[in-house]
Amino acid sequence: MNKQQVYIRGTGIVSPLGGSIAETLAALRENRSKVAPLDLFPLLQGSPLPVGQVRGIDTEPTLPRTHQLALTAATQAMAGYDRPPDAIVIGTTTGGIPTTEQLLRDGITDKNQYRLHGLNTVADELGRHFNCSGPVLTVSTACSSGAVAITLAMELLRGRQAENVLVGGVDSLCRLTYFGFHSLQLVDKNGCRPLDKNRRGMAVAEGAGMLLLSSEKKADTPVELLGAGLSCDAFHPAAPHPEGKGARTAMRAALADAGLSPRAIDYINLHGTGTPENDLAESRAVRALFPTPPALSSIKGATGHSLAAAGAIEAVIASLCITQDLVPANTGLRQVDPDLKLHPVTKPEDRPVTAVLSNSFGFGGNNGSLVLAKSGKFTQSTSKKTTNPLSILGSACLTGAGDTAATLAGLLNEKSIVGQADDQAIIQDLPPRLIRRLKRLPRMALSLAVNAYNRSQSGKKSLSIFMGTGWGALSETYDFLERLTTSQELFPSPTDFVGSVHNGPAGQVAMLLEATGANITTSGGDYSFEQALMAADLLLKDDETGVVLGADEGHAILSPLLDASIEPQPHVENLADGGGALHLGKMPRNKGRACIKLCFFHSCRTDGPISSLIKKLGGADTLQSDCGLVLTGIPAAAKKLGEKQLEQFIKLSSLAAPVSRYRKYIGEFASASAVTAALAASCLESGQVPALLTGGDPISLEKNKKILILGLGEYITAMELYRP
Amino acid sequence: MNNDLVEELKIKLIDILNLPDVTPEDFDENAQLVGGELGIDSIDVLEMVVMVEKDYGIVINSQEVGEKVFSSLTALADYIRKHAQDTPS
Repeated sequence: MNKQQVYIRGTGIVSPLGGSIAETLAALRENRSKVAPLDLFPLLQGSPLPVGQVRGIDTEPTLPRTHQLALTAATQAMAGYDRPPDAIVIGTTTGGIPTTEQLLRDGITDKNQYRLHGLNTVADELGRHFNCSGPVLTVSTACSSGAVAITLAMELLRGRQAENVLVGGVDSLCRLTYFGFHSLQLVDKNGCRPLDKNRRGMAVAEGAGMLLLSSEKKADTPVELLGAGLSCDAFHPAAPHPEGKGARTAMRAALADAGLSPRAIDYINLHGTGTPENDLAESRAVRALFPTPPALSSIKGATGHSLAAAGAIEAVIASLCITQDLVPANTGLRQVDPDLKLHPVTKPEDRPVTAVLSNSFGFGGNNGSLVLAKSGKFTQSTSKKTTNPLSILGSACLTGAGDTAATLAGLLNEKSIVGQADDQAIIQDLPPRLIRRLKRLPRMALSLAVNAYNRSQSGKKSLSIFMGTGWGALSETYDFLERLTTSQELFPSPTDFVGSVHNGPAGQVAMLLEATGANITTSGGDYSFEQALMAADLLLKDDETGVVLGADEGHAILSPLLDASIEPQPHVENLADGGGALHLGKMPRNKGRACIKLCFFHSCRTDGPISSLIKKLGGADTLQSDCGLVLTGIPAAAKKLGEKQLEQFIKLSSLAAPVSRYRKYIGEFASASAVTAALAASCLESGQVPALLTGGDPISLEKNKKILILGLGEYITAMELYRP
Repeated sequence: MNNDLVEELKIKLIDILNLPDVTPEDFDENAQLVGGELGIDSIDVLEMVVMVEKDYGIVINSQEVGEKVFSSLTALADYIRKHAQDTPS
């Protein structure tokens, strides 16, 4: 069967080069660097470092800067399209942090002012603005976020789960990234000179790139997205593999996915950050794959490195190169580094461009490559359809009671498992040297992954990691900002900066499990685990395995400020955290213990979402006969709405199975649904459901009965667990 | 005097590099520091650079200098001693 083709229907861009496609094109033709000293926020020490700052956007005081940049670029991409997109996928690492770090400095304790902190709030804002009723996903994989978001959007279209998807990447300049990269000595004080002999580092930048991807070919869709490849170095939290091993894997996978040979590529848009290590590793990866490399350049000498936005901005620019038959220059290059053995383009060149390979690599060894081409120039390769369900090969959880065994024992004895897992319970299976620099969230992630991972069923193909986290590494983020402030901006911690990125924990998991497949972190608030499961389902092919986990840490200061479901000043004993992990494989049915399926992911903005949900689950009759238990997640902040939705669900389905509210016995934290999924897997295995989970009496599950995990509130999600 | 600085640095490094299973007694000041048995890498080097600047007022910003300075704990102590003399305290 032929692959569904994916066309670029609209593009939008805001970057240091300008606030429109026309300005971007003019700047590329001029070959001038827009990297200049920072003046976005005042500094306590020294002179400002060169950055890529966006100039002249309207500052809308009610929205954080990241949200403004995203909205500006998305409005361009959606121009001329008057329906809502079927889905939205956004890559970002900064979210509302530019606003949050100022609020923390000012000692503001009113939690309402922090409501747009979460990474998910950027995509949610776009969802509201464009009235999207389908899935709204947020990925955060550091500097590859934009490319990873585009990969997921492409798979949504290929799987015919959507016909039009708004996708992009966005980040804004903030103290966290400005001082963070500086603390790693990765910033070039003299601007940014990728591939140059004298390069000294990157320039931190900001911006947004957005694309409206469509499965419909139109007269005005001259460019298509042909393929994508993801990989993980599983080598180091911040440095690339010196030989560019993961980078080469991602490029090779993107070419294979596109069905192209390296010879078909006319131009490589390099990641080319300007750090000595990145450019050297990338050059080795390029030369290993391309015996005679085509025209190539990094545009980051002109734009700086806009982190999560970079992959999307460069996809927009790659599309522009194809429509304009233009190869942009490697701005800022004076003397090419002979060790790279590459010949970057030094002046913009007008020449035919049919196919472009665009690279984006990031912290956590996270790599993504995209292939874009002139529409209809290449026939899409046929693809083998993925048919196997997601089988659960192993599971684990962490709760206030401790590890999986302690949690199950607590449930059986009807003891509360709400609280924060004891540090000793988290680290008991982890080598001390491995975790010496890690704080709470990465430790939780490692513990969950190690205990869920079933080595005997790992298969031959590379393992992928999918992690959902509502809030990311709060300890590292808080400690970084705190030390930055108390040291008068003199001594920001490099360790905390590396640890603060949302995909840090998943990168640690990859290193421990040698997971060199895709490595995706989703951050969709209370629906983060469901988004990770969706990513796994979109990317895993038959016989491939991955660990899907969800975890959040309870942080005494930040959790109550940021999470709307946690009361403003909770007693420490009321603060809960934990997580759950599943080792999943797209295995033939008989091999798995149980299967899991994400059946539904919609916003509650649609009319009649509950009737759509019931229809998607097979209708009221099927639910009555198949469903043995409903575990419902209603975040405290959405109690009224969620209870109303649940009442409607029970009424419309006439369901007689027990229904319980799992946050009551697991606690209020974003990834409580991950714990629930792990517990449901255990219940299916034993066939027994303890009283605490049913909300009434303990029950035995008949073999044909499913467990339904509902997420209610702002979004409505449904996961089904069943025995094959 | 010499040993005081070495002993002081041992305690500081165990703290900032989070080496809870290492005691000052079994910290070999002449062993290879970066890339050696303790698993100390480039991020740790940067954390040590911050410590040297904060606690001793000595700025280390060139990668080449950094590699020499952090080759062993003895080398680090020598560097601090040498450069502390240059700066009036």
